[in-house]
Amino acid sequence: MATVLRSQCAFARLFVGKTGQILNNAIDLGVKLAPEPQSALLSKNYSNYAHSPFVTKIKKEQYEYEIVKKPPEWTYVERLLPFNTIPAVTPKETYPSGWIPPREEAKNLPFFLPRTKFHDLPIYLHVTYRGMRKISKIKRIEGDIWLLNDEIKKYLKEKNKRYVETRVQEVARFIEVKGDHVNYLIEWAHTKGF
Amino acid sequence: MGSRQIVEKSLSMLRSLPRISLANIRDNPNCKKKSKRGRAQHGGDKHGAGNKGSGQRQNFMRLGYETGNNPFYLRVPQEHYYRGHHLKREYPPFTLLQLQTIIDKDWVDISKPIDIASIIKSGIYTFYPDQKQFGIHLTDEGLDNFSAKINIEVQWASEQVIAAIERNGGVITTAYYDPHSLFLLKNPKKFFESGQAIPRRMIPPPDAIEYYTSAKTRGYLADPEEISKERLKLAQKYGYDLPNIENDPNYNMLCERKDPRQIFYGLQPGWVVNLKDNCILKPKDQDLLQFFNS
Repeated sequence: MATVLRSQCAFARLFVGKTGQILNNAIDLGVKLAPEPQSALLSKNYSNYAHSPFVTKIKKEQYEYEIVKKPPEWTYVERLLPFNTIPAVTPKETYPSGWIPPREEAKNLPFFLPRTKFHDLPIYLHVTYRGMRKISKIKRIEGDIWLLNDEIKKYLKEKNKRYVETRVQEVARFIEVKGDHVNYLIEWAHTKGF
Repeated sequence: MGSRQIVEKSLSMLRSLPRISLANIRDNPNCKKKSKRGRAQHGGDKHGAGNKGSGQRQNFMRLGYETGNNPFYLRVPQEHYYRGHHLKREYPPFTLLQLQTIIDKDWVDISKPIDIASIIKSGIYTFYPDQKQFGIHLTDEGLDNFSAKINIEVQWASEQVIAAIERNGGVITTAYYDPHSLFLLKNPKKFFESGQAIPRRMIPPPDAIEYYTSAKTRGYLADPEEISKERLKLAQKYGYDLPNIENDPNYNMLCERKDPRQIFYGLQPGWVVNLKDNCILKPKDQDLLQFFNS
């Protein structure tokens, strides 16, 4: 209970517990009470709020606490603390959200597409020139990038029934495909087991 | 001259030359261009700022000011789209599809009750209590594919969403948190490190009390018997068999709820959590106990 009321202004502080001494508030109006000299209080300027005294006296400065090391409730605390790393996915029978885990057989292919740290495929859509240019980008390709390029081109040609332009960046290990083909590319990657 | 000779020559030159320091470096020759004064048609002009007055001094007027005209933003009649926007609570959306995704990826543990703290811990959702955002609005996107048995606590949910969760044998509660408690739930670690005692959760404001005491919306202040009646009603309305929670192996987990004054599961208001020494400080003083339980 650290919150102890402090008066907002010096004026109010003057009259705490002394309301009876204010002439109009005195119960016995017959007796005239001479106002006490208050110059010491009035002239006091505190350098900041923290240095000003409390209006009322605090009952206790220190409250009693029971200190328990590793109590049974500690599991509730651990539950709240953030992950140190992104958790690995435990295998399940079904994934109703539509997320598909990578398959082992993908490792035998001449090319490989690893998952990101969020367990997703590194296939993105880049929209530039106010939506006029859309480029699908496959990143972090390992192995034979040119073979992967040929397969993608073939797959997208079948799906779109037209030729699809791609750009292969061998050094930076990515392929850019002209147009929004992200869903088809993800579909293709899932069929390959990535 | 072979390249080897060149290398040796330049190395020997390097040895004899003084070290490079700030005192003896200079720019490459001709790398800096001096700006020239224009001499053509517009060489000595005023750069479009005109002659004399506020134009020359680039004294731009305040936005919307039309130099004495009745300004456009005052000329049209007012339409009060945003009246009272500073008083309205906002609940940023979180879809059932996103919830199912984090369950599939094991970013949230469904063997324990899910609340806003565990959803934020997954990293997929964030909100800002200081911008009058009051927590999760669970929306119906992906409700057909949702199939997880969970005990979830959100801040706002529609009837369809409640039905989607209860159809799978789960439990949903809508609970109100005041902004101060939401700051704690958003980053519990930061709060524990500050060494303060866990505060009490405040009761909802007058305009939200109806929602959070209603059994139809599964409010946390509603009567549990009323809620079980409403569960049955909703099952009949949407035409699914309500799974029996009493016979469930996870009955204890599904029945776990927070106290209306509690912010974190299992941690009482007034406790201080010490992350450094792994201990919890529980108040023994009668004054403190009375304050935190009121």
